Amino acid sequence: MSWFRSLVRAFRRPFRHLRKHWRPVLVGLALIPVHASAMLWMPRLLGETLDMLTAGGDDVALAATCWLMLGLAGAEAAARFTSRKLLIDTSRVVERSMKDELVSHLHTLPTAWFDRAKTGDLTSRMTQDIELMRFVIGPLLLHGGSALCLLPAGLVLMLSMNVSVALASLVALLFVFVAMKFVVPRLHQWSKRSQEAIAEISQQAQEDFAGIRVVQQFDRVPNELASMATKNRRYLVANLRLVRLRAVLNALMHSTGGAVMLGVLLVGGHEVIVGRITIGELFQFTGYLALMTFPLQILGWTIATVPRAQAAGERIEELFEVASEPQGGLRPQVRVDIEVRDLTFCYPGATTPALRDVSFSLRAGQKLGVLGPVGSGKSTLLALLLRLYDPPAGTVFVGGHDVLEIDARVLRAAFAYAPQEPFLFSDTVADNVVFDEPDVSDERRDAAIADAALDQDLPQLRDGLQTVVGERGVTLSGGQKQRVSIARALLSDRPGVLLDDTLSAVDPTTERRIVNGLRRAGAGRTLVAATHRLSVTADADLILVLQDGAVAQRGTHEELLRAQGPYAAAWQLQTEARALEGGEGDGT
Amino acid sequence: MNHPYEDEQPVGRLQLTFLRRLWPFVRPYRRGFCLCLALLTASLLLELAGPWLIRLAIDGPMQDTSSAQESRLTALYYYAAGFLGVTAGGALLGYIYGLQTAWNGQRVIRDVRRRVFEHVLSTRLSFHEKNPAGKLTTRITNDVENLNELIATGVLQTFFDLIKIAGIVVVLFCLDVQLALFTMVAAPVITALSVIFRRRAQVAYRAVRSRLALQNAYATELIGGVRTTRAFGREDAVSRRYAERNEETSIAWKQTVLHFSTFFSLVDFALRGTTVGLLWFGGSAVLDGDLKAGEFIQFWLYFTMLSGPIRALGEVYNVLQAAFASCERIFQLLEEPAFPPPREAGRAAAGSAKRGVAEVRFEGVSFAYDEGPTVLDNVSFTASPGQTVAVVGPTGAGKTTLLSLVSRLRDTGAGQVRVDGEDVRDLDLSDLRRRIAYVAQDLFLFTGSVLDNVRLFDRSIDEAAVWSALETVGAAEFVRALPEGIRADVAERGNTFSQGERQLLAFARALVTQPDVLVLDEATANIDSHAEAKLQRALQLALRGRTALVVAHRLSTVRDADLILVIERGRVTERGSHQQLLAQGGTYAKMVRQAAAG
Repeated sequence: MSWFRSLVRAFRRPFRHLRKHWRPVLVGLALIPVHASAMLWMPRLLGETLDMLTAGGDDVALAATCWLMLGLAGAEAAARFTSRKLLIDTSRVVERSMKDELVSHLHTLPTAWFDRAKTGDLTSRMTQDIELMRFVIGPLLLHGGSALCLLPAGLVLMLSMNVSVALASLVALLFVFVAMKFVVPRLHQWSKRSQEAIAEISQQAQEDFAGIRVVQQFDRVPNELASMATKNRRYLVANLRLVRLRAVLNALMHSTGGAVMLGVLLVGGHEVIVGRITIGELFQFTGYLALMTFPLQILGWTIATVPRAQAAGERIEELFEVASEPQGGLRPQVRVDIEVRDLTFCYPGATTPALRDVSFSLRAGQKLGVLGPVGSGKSTLLALLLRLYDPPAGTVFVGGHDVLEIDARVLRAAFAYAPQEPFLFSDTVADNVVFDEPDVSDERRDAAIADAALDQDLPQLRDGLQTVVGERGVTLSGGQKQRVSIARALLSDRPGVLLDDTLSAVDPTTERRIVNGLRRAGAGRTLVAATHRLSVTADADLILVLQDGAVAQRGTHEELLRAQGPYAAAWQLQTEARALEGGEGDGT
Repeated sequence: MNHPYEDEQPVGRLQLTFLRRLWPFVRPYRRGFCLCLALLTASLLLELAGPWLIRLAIDGPMQDTSSAQESRLTALYYYAAGFLGVTAGGALLGYIYGLQTAWNGQRVIRDVRRRVFEHVLSTRLSFHEKNPAGKLTTRITNDVENLNELIATGVLQTFFDLIKIAGIVVVLFCLDVQLALFTMVAAPVITALSVIFRRRAQVAYRAVRSRLALQNAYATELIGGVRTTRAFGREDAVSRRYAERNEETSIAWKQTVLHFSTFFSLVDFALRGTTVGLLWFGGSAVLDGDLKAGEFIQFWLYFTMLSGPIRALGEVYNVLQAAFASCERIFQLLEEPAFPPPREAGRAAAGSAKRGVAEVRFEGVSFAYDEGPTVLDNVSFTASPGQTVAVVGPTGAGKTTLLSLVSRLRDTGAGQVRVDGEDVRDLDLSDLRRRIAYVAQDLFLFTGSVLDNVRLFDRSIDEAAVWSALETVGAAEFVRALPEGIRADVAERGNTFSQGERQLLAFARALVTQPDVLVLDEATANIDSHAEAKLQRALQLALRGRTALVVAHRLSTVRDADLILVIERGRVTERGSHQQLLAQGGTYAKMVRQAAAG
């Protein structure tokens, strides 16, 4: 029964969407008996005609039968067209609604959940899995419906004609279902293995191509080929097993048709010879059987595909079952003064804290610099200000309220944010910049672009601001992406600006331009900049140097230089690097 | 909205040239494929024998009222037994055929995949810079899979369908010429319908494919960008944008459904119309006594066998279309020249590479990226064995390009790069690269353990050697502190290591192979004094006893170098030791003054 429960779990959602479109579904389904009866009428007409012919009938009756059959064929075609169009269209609509629903749901999930989820896996659930469900649901309705009509109706008609011939055919039909029960689960299992194997291949290829410099420099090509060969072999084996199972299934379906014909020939022939049925009726039987073969095959196919769709459905449900972030809370007019008190924070599931005993306060309009090596907690601090994760109660205050009490969306609306890994959608550069304020004037947009020093990149892009970037367009360099991200943050007029290491891929000259841009655009706004580049924060009201999550040094630039600690040492080295790259020492 | 639909991949046309290019891959398995065809033909013959036996049974024992019932039944049983044999034989052959096709087809596919993968690994860096890894990966996954469709479903199945149609037609003519002729009139109508349909479906399908691709790309992006979306509170806008793309795909889908529904209904109707025609002509023939009932039924059964392959031919076009598009992409990729290019005629290979401290010399080296501006312009210098050459200068002056020429990640335009006097283009690439280690600013990590990342999956380097390299560079301490030590899995992108740690691992990776030449792109110092001290020590150890070429970001590194090159706009503008250049009072002296100003 657990199998049944999982089946219900997998298909409940698509069927709920189907119910919303019950009208076309109903009409489509209602038309199935129409074309099924038109189809079932024909063998009978043929059988009777054949008997009439052998008994020496006349041209007039033959012509009448022909016209009637043509009419039936017309009706069948019309009904079949309509039901196919309605039902398959609806399955597309269901696919579409499920995708939309999933996207909306994903946007409510906790950020911590995304940290653990793998993008590739998520994407395949959003695309392939939902498409697979649609791929089963449409045909299931259309062909399943006609199988449900044709199979029982055909059987009843056959039984009413001659019980022994009908039963002989029935036995042959049943045989195939029993056999399928053994084949189909294995089919499912090996198809999963095959998918895993191709995923491994894809993973290695992706990595080797991304790290091509290392692969070539260290002469690792033969090694990678060998490792790929192993993966290829695994995939081959899985696929061959899969093919063998499919071949068994095909052979079964093929021989069922034959076995049924054999039953008709043997038992039916016997009945003809002993004079219980006519040859026309025998022919009628074969007509019914021919009609039933296609639904039978479709049924077989559906049975073979349902487990895969079921697994897909369950994977989709797993996503829907992840609990959303709690919603609601205070909706104050947020003034961005920030107070952090004895903040110690551990990521869910981690044992060592990412931040320890961090305290500081920042008045609205002030600038905070957060420095420290990778993993020292800079990004975590910024993420907590945005409440991408929940800090412990009573530790992080924005505008005088504990961030836990403020509605997350109201809190986030107070900050513009440029994340560590700048994210661009495959849209135009302009659309990516005005992401936050689509209706902004061109002047303001261009000012933000200049402040982020993005203007220097535009001449190099094919269509300037209208260049489409990303997956389906031009690939921007890391520095260009960062500049788009900074422009996006500077453009919005939110009172707080959070910059998370957004200058790491930028050369010294551009860096100086951006630092000046930040000064201009950031005036009057509360700015928190996490960075490795010390020059960015030299004018900050407060600088925190983080080490392993704790504040190692704090103060203004001048105080820290005098302190002769890690800050002063790093300042010296970074000044050297800038000088050797031909940039001028800032000397602030 | 500005959608790049027109950028969509070319739709594959039925180009037979692809089959010719595919032939080298198919050739090793040609015997197997011939066997497949033989099996296919045999199973077709068996399939054709079925209706023939039925006709014999009907016109023989069933209607032969002159014989005794007993002997009529016996005859019927013989025919039934024959039918059983024929059907079972057909199923068995079909099964073997399925296995054979897969056995051969899957191997062809594997070979193609292997070849494409190998080829991509050996293409030029500039090719990789233009083509993101994800795109290249789909070539060896999706596109190669589509090729499988071409081989298994496309070619063989189409061939089978054609043979089947031909076979049935021959039999039909043998049975009754008039009926067969009528069938022949009907068949072109059905074929014409298929042709019209597939033209429309082609257009509709292309729209679906490009829109779906766009939509799926957006899906990937919105997952990757979820933090950005959230921080800006743009969830609704992003969802709406997705919904718009979703709807566009959906509209395109409905078009294809319309075409499919029309096609299937029309073809079905045409088939039934033909059936009615058969009944009319066949019925008249039976009435006139020209055709026996059994023959009519046999004709009928054959005719029903015809509709399957005709329909399949209509559908195979879609499969082929995708397959040909993939084929085109794969062969385009294979046309991309491999690197290094074959040695020019008349250039003898240098003898087996020496080991030991090497001399690196640049002689009038110039370099430009494909049709781009000159990046390096007539650069000459010599790094004598054991010397360190430091390179300084503005970003974009060509420093990193210079480094990549030594181990031949790229080839010079004009001039020569010589290692121990030999032009690197004359040396065996593997030997050359084994002598030279490259430390980039950032460490690229592969999925796997720390151990495997340091030795780059080279099992001939044992764990002790890896530990010793880690000790040398001062990385052993933090590796030991990892939960599973040296066997710890580096996370998917290696975000768990700090920049200092990554640098140390990069040094360890370079030193574990005991290279003769070190090529180093020094990373800018971070605010991590502990790591900084270790890095300085690791650098000194790495340079000791080796020839080194360093893009320097620290004064201490430059000061210790034997030769300093100042590179501006691709040209060497100053050269000499620290003291000499300071005395010159040029760009370098200015740089040092500024560095001290911090």
